[in-house]
Amino acid sequence: MRKNISSLMTSKNILIALTVLCCFFIGTSFFTDTLTKPLKKCVSMVVVPVQKGMNNIGFWVYDKYQTLQEISVVLDENKNLQSQVDELTEENNQLKQDSYELNRLRDLYELDQQYAGYSKVGARVIEVTTDNWHSSFKIDKGTDDGLKVDMNVIASGGLVGIISETGSNYSIVKTITENNSNVSGMLIDTNETCIVQGDIELMDTGMIRVAHFKSDVIVRNGDKVVTSNISDKYLQGILIGYVKDVKLDSNNLTQSGYIVPAVDFNNLQEVLVITQLKE
Amino acid sequence: MKRKITELIIILFFYLMQVSAARVISIANISPNWLIILPVFFGFFCGKNDGMFVGFFSGIMYDLFYSGLFGFTALVFIYIGYFSGFFYQKYEVREILIPLALVITADFGYGFISYIGNFLLHNRLNVGFFMSRFILPEVVYTALVSLLIYHPVHYFCTITEPGRERKKKGKIDEGNI
Repeated sequence: MRKNISSLMTSKNILIALTVLCCFFIGTSFFTDTLTKPLKKCVSMVVVPVQKGMNNIGFWVYDKYQTLQEISVVLDENKNLQSQVDELTEENNQLKQDSYELNRLRDLYELDQQYAGYSKVGARVIEVTTDNWHSSFKIDKGTDDGLKVDMNVIASGGLVGIISETGSNYSIVKTITENNSNVSGMLIDTNETCIVQGDIELMDTGMIRVAHFKSDVIVRNGDKVVTSNISDKYLQGILIGYVKDVKLDSNNLTQSGYIVPAVDFNNLQEVLVITQLKE
Repeated sequence: MKRKITELIIILFFYLMQVSAARVISIANISPNWLIILPVFFGFFCGKNDGMFVGFFSGIMYDLFYSGLFGFTALVFIYIGYFSGFFYQKYEVREILIPLALVITADFGYGFISYIGNFLLHNRLNVGFFMSRFILPEVVYTALVSLLIYHPVHYFCTITEPGRERKKKGKIDEGNI
């Protein structure tokens, strides 16, 4: 009996068995993720703590390297800074007066107040996609920290993306530069809506495509685009970026162009997750 | 058994290199495909069965978090491991160009298949751009990395070879006769 089993274990038979197994996996992945859920949980239990450690080592090395480099520069700078301090004290007094005025104006400017009012959670980027085509990444916080699917992710004041998947100690963020990602946006001053589309062929320029402006809308270079009020997943009024080169399409009905995003997607270390879902 | 566990640990290590170290070592947003090297090398050094075993698990790791089609990469990697197993024990270890050519073919093939699935079928017909910007740089970088890890992986294969002790004993007996 034992001999029979081992004679069946030829590499050709194993190949056929594994092929069938993989096809089964592919087939089920169209309908459900119950097969991968436990596996993902096991792997992330092992991998995420290691990645956090690697991240910390990286930060530590980088920090030490920077310190060594900076010491000589710092000594020179110190002299210059001393003289600047005097100037700045004077300027500061003036700015304090301005800031009172700013706060008053901010109260009037409802959109901005709303934006500042969202509660946020900070998280670190610990992993990027396995292939070079996609630009999703993994952060080190998950359902244990209260994160949920479809929460918006921002960094340095601009929209980064949306959480597409969560585990107990990790979440996967789909960025707006990802190919085939669509975000509904609007011009901040006129509320004219548009669609912001990620495009892999623009990766080197760092820009995102923007389309579906109505033909009669006037769009100037540098106009701010924020997430729109009609989107069902993105909270209203998060800055996406600045418009560039919008031109009339060949159909004479719509206009399209590019957006320079407010976030530097190449150097994302930390992101903020807005822990509020659009209802 | 010892070899299988070693292989799983190596896969985990390479996975970490691929996803966490990628941001540090990537050149122009292209990072090497560490996981595709494993089925090629293990198929070449240890035979078809080990190539398929490693291919299956590294493919699963590759797909686990970021793929909409879970299992597809595993399928491709199994075949890569199987076919590089044809070259098992046919060449000397120092003939490094054979496994290198295998890595290049495998990575190019896999890159092209994923281009077809992800982009060509979505009406992205700009093959030249995807070739020159993604597939070929990745192939070159992966080939470089595979040169670096060629000897370490071979070392792991020899120290975990099943029946290694027995072989040594046999030689001593021959001497006695």
